[in-house]
Amino acid sequence: MTKRAPNGVGRRSVLKGTAAVAAASTIGFPFVSKAQNKPIKVGMVTVLSGRVAILGSASQKGAQIEIDAFNAAGGLGGRPIELIVRDSKAKPEEAARIAREFINSEGCEILLDADTSAAAFAIQEIARETGILTIHTNSETSSLTADPKLHVPTAFRSARQGIHDAIAGGSYAAEVSKAKKLNRWMGCSPDYAYGRDSNKLFFEYLKRFHKDAEVIGESWPKLFQPDYTEQLTKILQSKPQAVYSCLWGGDLTAFIDQSSIYNLFAQTEVFAINIADYAVLTAIKNLPKGIHSGSRYLSTFPPTKENADWSAGYRKKFNEYPLNWSWENSAGTKFVLDALKKTNSTDSKKLAEAISGASISVPYGVDGKLTMRAGDNTLINYSTGWGQTIQKDPFVPDVKSVDWKMILDLETEWKKTMKYI
Amino acid sequence: MDLSALASCLITPSCVITQTTSGLIIGLLLFLVAAGVSLIFGVLKVVNFAHGAFYMLGAYFAYTAYQLSGNYLIAVLAGGIGVALFGLVFERLLISRVYGSPVLMQLLVCYGAILILDDLVKIIWGADFLSFGMPSAFQQLPFVFAGGVVPVFYLFLIVVALAIAGLLGLLISKTRYGKIVRAAAVNPSMVSALGINTGVVYASVFVLGGFLAGLAGGLAAPVRSLTAGMGTSIIIESFIVTVIGGMGSVAGALVGSILIGLVRSFGTIGFPLFTEGLMFVLMAVVLVLKPSGLFGKGGA
Amino acid sequence: MTRSSLLRDSLIAIAVFAVLALLPFIVPGKGFTDFMVRLAAFGIFATSLNLLVGYAGMESFGHGLFFGLGCYSFGLIMQTFPVSIPVAFLATVGLSIVVGTVVGAICVRLNEIYFAFVTLAFQMLLHSLIIAWTPITGGDQGLTGGIPRPPFLGIRLDDYYHLYLFSTGLLVASLLAMYHIVQSPFGYTLRMIRDNAARAPFLGINVFRVRLMAYVIAGAFGAIGGMIMSLFVSGAFPDFAYWTISGEAIFMIMLGGITVFLGPMVGAVMLLLLNDFVTKMTTHYGLVLGLVILLFALGLRKGLMDFAADLWRDRQTPTSGPRPDTAAKTAASAPARAGE
Repeated sequence: MTKRAPNGVGRRSVLKGTAAVAAASTIGFPFVSKAQNKPIKVGMVTVLSGRVAILGSASQKGAQIEIDAFNAAGGLGGRPIELIVRDSKAKPEEAARIAREFINSEGCEILLDADTSAAAFAIQEIARETGILTIHTNSETSSLTADPKLHVPTAFRSARQGIHDAIAGGSYAAEVSKAKKLNRWMGCSPDYAYGRDSNKLFFEYLKRFHKDAEVIGESWPKLFQPDYTEQLTKILQSKPQAVYSCLWGGDLTAFIDQSSIYNLFAQTEVFAINIADYAVLTAIKNLPKGIHSGSRYLSTFPPTKENADWSAGYRKKFNEYPLNWSWENSAGTKFVLDALKKTNSTDSKKLAEAISGASISVPYGVDGKLTMRAGDNTLINYSTGWGQTIQKDPFVPDVKSVDWKMILDLETEWKKTMKYI
Repeated sequence: MDLSALASCLITPSCVITQTTSGLIIGLLLFLVAAGVSLIFGVLKVVNFAHGAFYMLGAYFAYTAYQLSGNYLIAVLAGGIGVALFGLVFERLLISRVYGSPVLMQLLVCYGAILILDDLVKIIWGADFLSFGMPSAFQQLPFVFAGGVVPVFYLFLIVVALAIAGLLGLLISKTRYGKIVRAAAVNPSMVSALGINTGVVYASVFVLGGFLAGLAGGLAAPVRSLTAGMGTSIIIESFIVTVIGGMGSVAGALVGSILIGLVRSFGTIGFPLFTEGLMFVLMAVVLVLKPSGLFGKGGA
Repeated sequence: MTRSSLLRDSLIAIAVFAVLALLPFIVPGKGFTDFMVRLAAFGIFATSLNLLVGYAGMESFGHGLFFGLGCYSFGLIMQTFPVSIPVAFLATVGLSIVVGTVVGAICVRLNEIYFAFVTLAFQMLLHSLIIAWTPITGGDQGLTGGIPRPPFLGIRLDDYYHLYLFSTGLLVASLLAMYHIVQSPFGYTLRMIRDNAARAPFLGINVFRVRLMAYVIAGAFGAIGGMIMSLFVSGAFPDFAYWTISGEAIFMIMLGGITVFLGPMVGAVMLLLLNDFVTKMTTHYGLVLGLVILLFALGLRKGLMDFAADLWRDRQTPTSGPRPDTAAKTAASAPARAGE
């Protein structure tokens, strides 16, 4: 579906009119104004159907909120942004096809890849081949930007990154473990690239900060597995003191519901990095108390007025909570929009140069700022922290933020061990 | 691969009890879906690829009924009866038109139906995943037998599913209806020659299959998250069960389902990364050695 | 099939290829060439499945085994070894023949739905293997980092027009080769086994061997389709070995028709166009595509080309005289196969 900016139509046409007059009077060729007002097309590849349809729905809204504001303020010298969103059905080849269609048939000048990780790798190759400005807004797989072999100068990531989350989670979990003497650990993460990566790195950093921690077993449910009984009973058998899981979305809610009836939360501390996201928090009917979670997106973290306002604005506009995917796509879009303003051009190379190393002012960054690190083109300084759940809103009342300097230092070290640098 | 872990589990009673019940619970819910697939194939010779979507509908019907009534029993029945009625419409409107068509044409029709149903679910219930919530009657501490842990809700599910399996077995083997169904599976023209309307028999089998799948969806809803497309994984496993047990055999579906459940529950201890592959190995081996399945009659 | 008809068909193929080579100059934009590259991949894949389904009566649910194998084998060879594209291409065809022979030897003994399910099992086994064997295959992320395309014989596959020529060239050549196979004595033996497997042994036909050969040949062409796809996406993904990919080929041949040689090609065009068009027009992809599929499946009750062929035949012979070859036989045998 071609999704046009729904708001500000009246105002935009007025602006278009003024721009047209201005263009005509300065240059003297009336048809030039047409080209001047031609919308800048931004193509978003995402998933709108099947089990992860919510990914696309949140991603689209996240981008739309920024684009509407940009268009309402006059666009790029009168040229509005038009967001075109298409469904890859979570198939990488379809994602690649749509990305090419955006470029070759639709005249899109910028790509937003809001698809799953596998698709992100396919789209990265298209970015390489065509040189189009591409923002990966959802893939958290570290290697996408960390591995220099995959590097594409015009491709960026505006999402969290697995390695950052692992360092943050590992250091937080180590502190809790030391205080509570949690030494026997188990993992229960989905059996695919993200799950394996996240699980491995989390334990690596846990053990680094808490020497007595020991991983006594791991269980690997399939992605989208409906039933976690066999994994839960395996966990119960091994009697760990703590469990780490990076299950997410509907899989996580099923896991929590099923864990509850096994009374798992009374026996072990559970560290589930992806709970603190409203889609999960509001879906679970009886959210257990005391689950440790990383902050995905919370209106109360960072605890600033700007953040609360942003969340409220989003809720007012779309009548639903913003999710982690919402801010990731808002951020990616904002980098693009700022670069458009700065360069006054839609040339991918120029835009990429402007985005590389740039900072944007947004409420979900540390001290209200996010930075797109030059070199590996990935996002840093997004607010990240851990806390424990309670049953009602605000769900995770007390989030401890994690120090970015430590994250960055350890990330550099990790890159060395991976031979990325 | 961690075969020593598997071995040490097998000699520990608590592990055996816990994993066996976990295998039973996975297997029995699967059975309710697979039994329908198997019956429909046995009698109608239709590979009902859309049966997973029936299961999904059952869960969603139950969800809405539970929202409205707050009563779990009503919710489960709404799932079962709702999908039974839906199955009737589905059979009359779509499947009855492709009896006798090549299997692949039937597959195409089912695929079209799945696409539509998944999208309709998304339109009606939204793109978000939904969580049913555990009925308060079952919010209790799990039972502990010899160190093995069994949640109350799962004990309930096992008893209900076994009861349904028993009733279904009686229905097929002891009643007049069962005889007609079995006869229709072997020789439909003979059945119609006896003055029985095969169309009605076929439709009733579809209704029965739909009822079971809907029940499974409703029963599973409190512990599984509801999303459009949730039927896909269960339909593939149902096919595996149907093949292993023998197409058209209710007993075979029961044994096959429990077998798959046990492979999953013990496999996750012995070879957590290859349990899925193992199910397909099992399926291939059965097909090669005894194509008609463990409980099937005759050969390929 | 005589030598002169081979010459005639080859000339037609060359003419078709010449037209295809010129088309991008008439139809502007890379959208068209992109579409044709995908059509080449799926067209070869679907037509090769129809060698089994339409001509041999072997309803495979697991033809994606070879599509996935082609993608991964070609991608892995190109990423790992410093070989040229033709070498990797031939090695992949060779590998698919070996795998096809081994898997086929197990599968082709079975009939009907049992054959369908055992092929599905083997395909899903490959899929599980790809997912589990992460160090080699990249697991669920697939082969990342792109597939190198060193130039060979002046062909540079990183150029979209060259890739287009290469893919459509392979498409035309593969279709020609498969057409010859189905028109050869071997092809007629296949039809005979399809229509009456019990009678074939009395005519001195080794049914097992013929069916195995058909399976291996279809698999080799299926792998060629997979290789083109891996070039299109510059990688390989587990999706290419999942049952859904077999499903897509099945839907293509069922939409296009199984009794006419070019039916699967028509089906591939239909399904790809439908997919692209519906994805573009609406977010309710499933609803629209599902309705269109039901309309075709229940309206025509057969593939488009089958329908057209019957229509044409009825017009040719209004008094229902003896019908020529394939269509009538398949149409007659299909319900029997479905067991009614």
